[in-house]
Amino acid sequence: MAIEAIAARFSTLRNWLVLLVLWEICGRLQVIASGALPAPSSILMRLWIDRADYPPHILATLEGAGAGFLIGNSLAVAAGVLFALFPMAARLGRGVNIALFALPAIAISPLLVLTFSGATPRIILAAIGCYFVTMSSTVTGISQTDARMIDVIRAYGGGRWSILALAQMRSALPAILSGLRIAAPNAVLGSILAEFGGGGRFGLGVYLLGSLGRAEPDRLWGIGLAATLIAGLAYALFSLIAVRFTGATKAVTVPATAPGGEATSWPLWLRLLLSTGSILIPIALWWLLLIAMGTPAMIAKTPVGLFEYLFLLPNSGVSQMKLLAALGQTLPLTIVGMALGIAFAFGLALMSVLRPGIIRGFMPVALVTQTMPLVALTPLLVLMLGRGPSVILWITISVTFFPAFVTMAQGLSMVPRAALDVPRAYGASLFTQLRLVSVPASLPYLFAATRLAVPRALLGVMIAEWLATGTGLGNLLNQSRGYLDYGMIWAVAVVSVLMSVVFYQCVVLIERPVLARRGMHAAQ
Amino acid sequence: MNLTIDRRHFLGLMGATAAYPAMSRFAHAASPFNFQASWINDAEFMGYFLAADKGFYKEEGLELSYFSGGPDVIPESTIIAGKADLTLTTPDTTIKAIVEQNAPFKIIGAQYQKNPIGIVSLAKNPIKEPKDLIGKTLAVPPVNVISVEAMLKISGVDRAQVNIVPYAYDPTPLIKGEIDASLDFTTNVPFTIKQSGADAVSFLLYDFGFTIFNDTVVVTEEALKTKRKEIVAFLRASRKGWDENFKDPAAYPALLADSWFKGTGRSIDNEVYFNRAQKPLMETDGGIFSMSEDSIAANIEALAAVGIAAKREHFDTTVLEEI
Repeated sequence: MAIEAIAARFSTLRNWLVLLVLWEICGRLQVIASGALPAPSSILMRLWIDRADYPPHILATLEGAGAGFLIGNSLAVAAGVLFALFPMAARLGRGVNIALFALPAIAISPLLVLTFSGATPRIILAAIGCYFVTMSSTVTGISQTDARMIDVIRAYGGGRWSILALAQMRSALPAILSGLRIAAPNAVLGSILAEFGGGGRFGLGVYLLGSLGRAEPDRLWGIGLAATLIAGLAYALFSLIAVRFTGATKAVTVPATAPGGEATSWPLWLRLLLSTGSILIPIALWWLLLIAMGTPAMIAKTPVGLFEYLFLLPNSGVSQMKLLAALGQTLPLTIVGMALGIAFAFGLALMSVLRPGIIRGFMPVALVTQTMPLVALTPLLVLMLGRGPSVILWITISVTFFPAFVTMAQGLSMVPRAALDVPRAYGASLFTQLRLVSVPASLPYLFAATRLAVPRALLGVMIAEWLATGTGLGNLLNQSRGYLDYGMIWAVAVVSVLMSVVFYQCVVLIERPVLARRGMHAAQ
Repeated sequence: MNLTIDRRHFLGLMGATAAYPAMSRFAHAASPFNFQASWINDAEFMGYFLAADKGFYKEEGLELSYFSGGPDVIPESTIIAGKADLTLTTPDTTIKAIVEQNAPFKIIGAQYQKNPIGIVSLAKNPIKEPKDLIGKTLAVPPVNVISVEAMLKISGVDRAQVNIVPYAYDPTPLIKGEIDASLDFTTNVPFTIKQSGADAVSFLLYDFGFTIFNDTVVVTEEALKTKRKEIVAFLRASRKGWDENFKDPAAYPALLADSWFKGTGRSIDNEVYFNRAQKPLMETDGGIFSMSEDSIAANIEALAAVGIAAKREHFDTTVLEEI
């Protein structure tokens, strides 16, 4: 065993080394995109030359991302507990959760900069990046608690809080930690995105913006590397903690009963009331926030203001046409990009079981794609892929697959050992084990991963449209920002959120009956 | 008690990263004045940096807070929201907002008499006038598409014959030949191209009929009533800063390397190039910021070509007279 482990570690190192050497050769020979991909050695040299520039920027990014991480995750765990314990709250909060989850960062960033000042947009964007991942992991973790543990505590007279503290939180911990490790890079990226747009003086995003005009890819990759390092360290930290906890709390046997089991036999009127409430709450929050901030009506469109802009003004017809035309360009590519991203993630997740060595070798590359700011990669991608639909699809896959992959891999690794022992005892191959046990058992995670992919796909398409092709909602958003067309800025943001919500609901509609048939519960 | 201090300290730290430089170094008897710049710190704003460092704002009784800009910062929004008292804008967007949305803006001065925005290309594939763009790929920031379309229209070039793609701040695609030309500040990008070993050719949209200002000084009508004294003081001090800067445009950027230009990611050589190149675009008989009747008429005419109905009343030259 020990020798195998050492061999596996060695082969991972070897794969990394091979990748690095290949990259160095490509960079040196200027093979890729006529030299727009710099060699690792020139990136490192550039980092060394620029070393005095970095400390204030890294510090500012850490402040924004750190504050957002703390605030976002605290809210997320609290909300997750609330939703897991009180199904009615979960039902009411659904609208807010999905809306927060579906907010495309590039649409919301200009709104935040309009409404808030100073470091607040950075913190909010970082917090939003953390909230949904951690909240849904918390709910998943709590709702997948082994019902027998709860029965034991009940039998000894434990109340709801004892169940929460002794069984549910404990069983949720691995899920929360796996949520946090996705949340950490999200927070860094959220902060950097707001820094890039928001006009502060320091932060890696600001440094990136200043450096973009220099046409020096090695500097841009250096900044990306710094962002990757911060995000990677945060990811590693929580992975390390997760490994320690998961080892101790992983179920050794299969629960005999389906987890959860909360009754949802509410009367029809109550269900209708809750659904209506869950739709109204995000709209009310949007409205109240604008009133509370006192932002002038010209800049900040309330739901009524937006309705007026789209339907009642003399120019409304033109606005509608522009919006629909952009939507017609964005929608098909979003669907295709999402499907490809999920398929890629699923393939990777299967590989992580079948050929873990290859996946470990691939992980650094995967992490770079998550933290390397797309705006810095765009020239490279455009030079390699042109400015057609293919560049949109590649960018979309690259922003979609990672969170989906992590969630799917998590699901596969959480399969109870005893369930796997059965096919193993019969001499089944690894592939048969996956097909008969692991994949079906991790279906809730597969669906959760699909839901995660929805807004990311939209984000990817919009970023590519903005930076590379000049089409669709991404371009419309940026152009409206330039023309001070505040109504359109809000309209694009709201339409993209609605689009995400509709996709999300479609996944849920498929998910529910599939899981119900297997006696499983959705990983919220 | 402790909590309050800690929170203040924390918020102070957060704020300091955004609103650098802190305004505490100015006398506190002065009136606070918030200035929103239109982009990150570069030579485009030299005059204001110098005026602040040389104490010109302080002499005028102003306690200046300087806010750097960025892609998501819509300068006009900051004065509507009351975050800034005065800002720098592009006249086309400002007047469009006045005409179409009844935005309460007044243009009270112009930093650039000639808009520095132009078409930049490589000398080996030169684009010297609008007609050369036919059949070429031109990268334009989405915000500026309207200006390019105006220039094409005025020059009699069919918009459909030019392939316009988004420009994402990075000149690499131009240097590598993926695009034939890009729209940018001609005071800036040719330097980068030279650094990469190629030669650049450029022309201003201004010289081909799109005769508008840039970095127009804009305030709200409200501020013009309530803060007129401070606005005049700001313009007077800023003009002094710019005059000082143009005494030796090659020397001043280096003096700001460790303050205003610290960690911007840009080089001092770049700022020197920028500073020299912008001098002829800014200097004018009436003094920095002035708007002559002729130039205002030229702006109105150029904007009419893009369907923006600018009027003389959108420009207010009375503040300049008080400097």
